[in-house]
Amino acid sequence: MIKAKPKPLEEIIDNVKDFNKLLIAGCDGCVTVCEAGGLKEVKILAAALRLYFTQAGKQVQVDEASLTRQCEKEYLAQLSDRMDGYDAAVSLACGVGAQYLAEMYNHKIVFPGVDTCFMGVNEERGLYSERCQACGRCILAETGGICPIARCSKRMLNGPCGGSDKGKCEINPDIPCAWELIYERLKTLGQLDRFERPVEPKDWSTSRDGGPRKIVREDLRI
Amino acid sequence: MQLQKKLASGEFVILAEMEPPKGTDVVAMVANAANVKRTVDAFVIPEMSNAVMKMSSLGGALLLQSKGLETVLQCCCRDRNRLALQGDLLAAQALGVPNVMAVSGEEITHGDHHKARAVNDLDLMELLAAIQTLQKGRDLAGVDLQGAPSFLVGSTVKIPTSDAARLDEVAELDKKIATGVKFFITPPVYETAALEKFTSLLKGRPVSIIPTVLLLKSVGMARYINRLLEPKIPEDFINRIQKASDRVRECVQIAAEIITTLKNRGFNGVNISTIGWEDKLPAILAAAGLEFGG
Ligand code: SF4
Ligand code: SF4
Repeated sequence: MIKAKPKPLEEIIDNVKDFNKLLIAGCDGCVTVCEAGGLKEVKILAAALRLYFTQAGKQVQVDEASLTRQCEKEYLAQLSDRMDGYDAAVSLACGVGAQYLAEMYNHKIVFPGVDTCFMGVNEERGLYSERCQACGRCILAETGGICPIARCSKRMLNGPCGGSDKGKCEINPDIPCAWELIYERLKTLGQLDRFERPVEPKDWSTSRDGGPRKIVREDLRI
Repeated sequence: MQLQKKLASGEFVILAEMEPPKGTDVVAMVANAANVKRTVDAFVIPEMSNAVMKMSSLGGALLLQSKGLETVLQCCCRDRNRLALQGDLLAAQALGVPNVMAVSGEEITHGDHHKARAVNDLDLMELLAAIQTLQKGRDLAGVDLQGAPSFLVGSTVKIPTSDAARLDEVAELDKKIATGVKFFITPPVYETAALEKFTSLLKGRPVSIIPTVLLLKSVGMARYINRLLEPKIPEDFINRIQKASDRVRECVQIAAEIITTLKNRGFNGVNISTIGWEDKLPAILAAAGLEFGG
């Protein structure tokens, strides 16, 4: 899922301090799971903003909402009869949701309330780590199900750089060496011969390098 | 230094693009440049134009500089991050390149290595600012340099055709001037009207506008440009090429006529682009009545 972390309160205050009617819009999707932008975080942020405005001696209306997903029009439409009543919204969805909210309510100012970080897993509560960079042509079949693009610091595609120490990455000892993980997994799977096949330079045109991407599924569009 | 001096004194400057080879054989490149060295003030060395892999601009520039020919290095955002850009700029200046032109570079998808990753670590304005930072003796991490470069800095400018676009481009150009740009190279020019309408808005600004004169190579090329690019080539030129008994000669003649017009209209100079036909430079210069000799 998409992982995000809450933006510092000061940054949000700086963005919204001159408005009088604010909507804090959360998302029940990914950002709820990583506890950055769900209904709970909407309530916390709204309370903090109300406190700030009260202390600043300003009368500001701060409303709360959370949508099933901000990345879908059907759910965003649930705000249609309310949006006119606000000067600005703070979206606690990921960057995708915040943009779609702004796109749908073109005339409203939308501020991001979280920093969207990556696509990753919940290792534990409060511990999330990256797994995929959406390169557009998945090579997991070749690498024992472990992605070197997302998980090797140097994005090496042909085996380890040789600098790892006790299984840790030489650039960041807090993370495991992806190629050590790949090696161990291929060994378990009896697929170590994969190491003997050199990998061609990757085609990055399917990644962000080829420009903004779009999927058109004709089979689904009839 | 010739280029800087001539621009400062208001003399008409002649730039010629000199494409490095796709390969290591530089004989033709050096010979083509040497052929026109008396007339051309500096050779602009494209950095893999159209994202087609070639010898780098730095390589081509150093090569010509080593033969005593002045060059303009192209420094491009597409393929290098801020470390590589700064490192190349230091290398270029230490080895004698006096001029640099910052470009953003065409999209990788337009070139011949579609699978490559684009870098674009700095955008064009950031690259121009980076050059100024280096000139002030610091790198982008704020660390003091052991010897600062001092380049004559150029960039590109569009030829806008509507009033709104002209104002936008003036604003854009002012931002670039504020980051130290002294000369601007335009896209290919075939008629001066649109360009002059734009340059009339630039009065009083301390910059030189250098129009590009593109050598058309065939009717097909002209039609292709007119289908996809701006500005358009006048039909009259296309007809002339079509009817000519010696089409190459006619193409050379047309380029020479455009150069003469630009010179007569008081532009600061021209940038002659022959994209692969650099051996036609002597003929173009001769037809334009510009002094020529090896
Ligand atoms: S808007 Fe973002 S956070 Fe919410 S469900 Fe969609 S992708 Fe996940
Ligand atoms: S190979 Fe590409 S798609 Fe597959 S996990 Fe890695 S980044 Fe994601």
